[in-house]
Amino acid sequence: MSSDRFEANKKHNPHSHALHKPGKRLMGKVPLRFVWKKVAGHGSRSPNANLNLTSYIDFLLVTVIFLLTTFNASGQVRVDDTIKLPFAENAEDVVDAPMVAVNSNTVFVDGQLAGSTRAIEELGRMQKVDELFVMLKSRRENWKTLQPDKPFPGVVILQIDENVPAIVVKSVFQTAAYAGYPNVSFMVQKTGGGAK
Amino acid sequence: MGGVDVGGDGGKKRATNADINMIPFIDLLMVTVAFLLITAVWVTNSRMNANAQIPGPPDPQQEVTPQTPEKILNVDIGEDEFTLTWKQGATVVSEVKVQKPTEPGDPPRYPDLAKKFETEWNANGGHKDPSDQKLDQAILHADNRLPFKEIVAVLDALYAPKREMKIGAKTEMIPVYNMTFSVR
Repeated sequence: MSSDRFEANKKHNPHSHALHKPGKRLMGKVPLRFVWKKVAGHGSRSPNANLNLTSYIDFLLVTVIFLLTTFNASGQVRVDDTIKLPFAENAEDVVDAPMVAVNSNTVFVDGQLAGSTRAIEELGRMQKVDELFVMLKSRRENWKTLQPDKPFPGVVILQIDENVPAIVVKSVFQTAAYAGYPNVSFMVQKTGGGAK
Repeated sequence: MGGVDVGGDGGKKRATNADINMIPFIDLLMVTVAFLLITAVWVTNSRMNANAQIPGPPDPQQEVTPQTPEKILNVDIGEDEFTLTWKQGATVVSEVKVQKPTEPGDPPRYPDLAKKFETEWNANGGHKDPSDQKLDQAILHADNRLPFKEIVAVLDALYAPKREMKIGAKTEMIPVYNMTFSVR
């Protein structure tokens, strides 16, 4: 019965072999099953997934707080551009102390002029640098008036250019010692251990 | 995403459930973390200790007991060799010479000298116990024209050997020597 009707239709419509009702063909070749399900309209879940970011933000906040509390700005000491610090491996962290900068021409204490390197060099013997001595001594007395109940640490940090001769180093060292700073530290750039 | 839910809309036109956009906040946190991590690596300036060995005012509480002078290591930086001399008062205990390398490099490095400092300390060092708070003294004799980087290279070698020292409840690794310059 049905085959009769089919044959009859075919006879009436010569284009029936080319025109027929379109099926679902879109992306029919995509091998992924879940994509095919979505395209076919059978999927139950929305393709927009909502990520829960709360735990991620918690983690980031904890990291930020940890880094901020452990952040140590003591190494971020400004070094004058005219000074090229020497390199060393076995060095410690910088502490908060008066800074004496020595380049090939001048001596500075915390950015203020405190003597001439050339003058020490020309004299050719160890000497007390008077201006440096006065400035360091006044700093020491200021510290003692501000904190009378604490013992004075007596630390001074020398930022000395790598090509400055030993006579200048020794003179500045002795001057600092005379001014009441027996613990003299030399600032260096650390090599090895991950940094530089 | 974060949001604020205040219950039903109560017949108002606008929705009362506001969505807070968390992305700029997360961005800010990420940038802060990156900044802090990178600047932590940047810290390269360090210091090397030295001591001028200035005697303090006499302590009236302490009894003066005649002490035998300690052994002190004298390091002489010569033209082409280092001389390491242990002296006890004016007596020379031992003397050792270390050849300077012909090519110390830039910055100069003296690994042989560092090894010698360690063997010398093992043989003659006086402060080896972790509870001992004092360090062995080294006196540096340097020529007046010697550049500072050479001094630092010798200092670096001097501070290479380390020992344990109890500081409070903790035990830390501390260089075995403490350096001072010779006054001459």
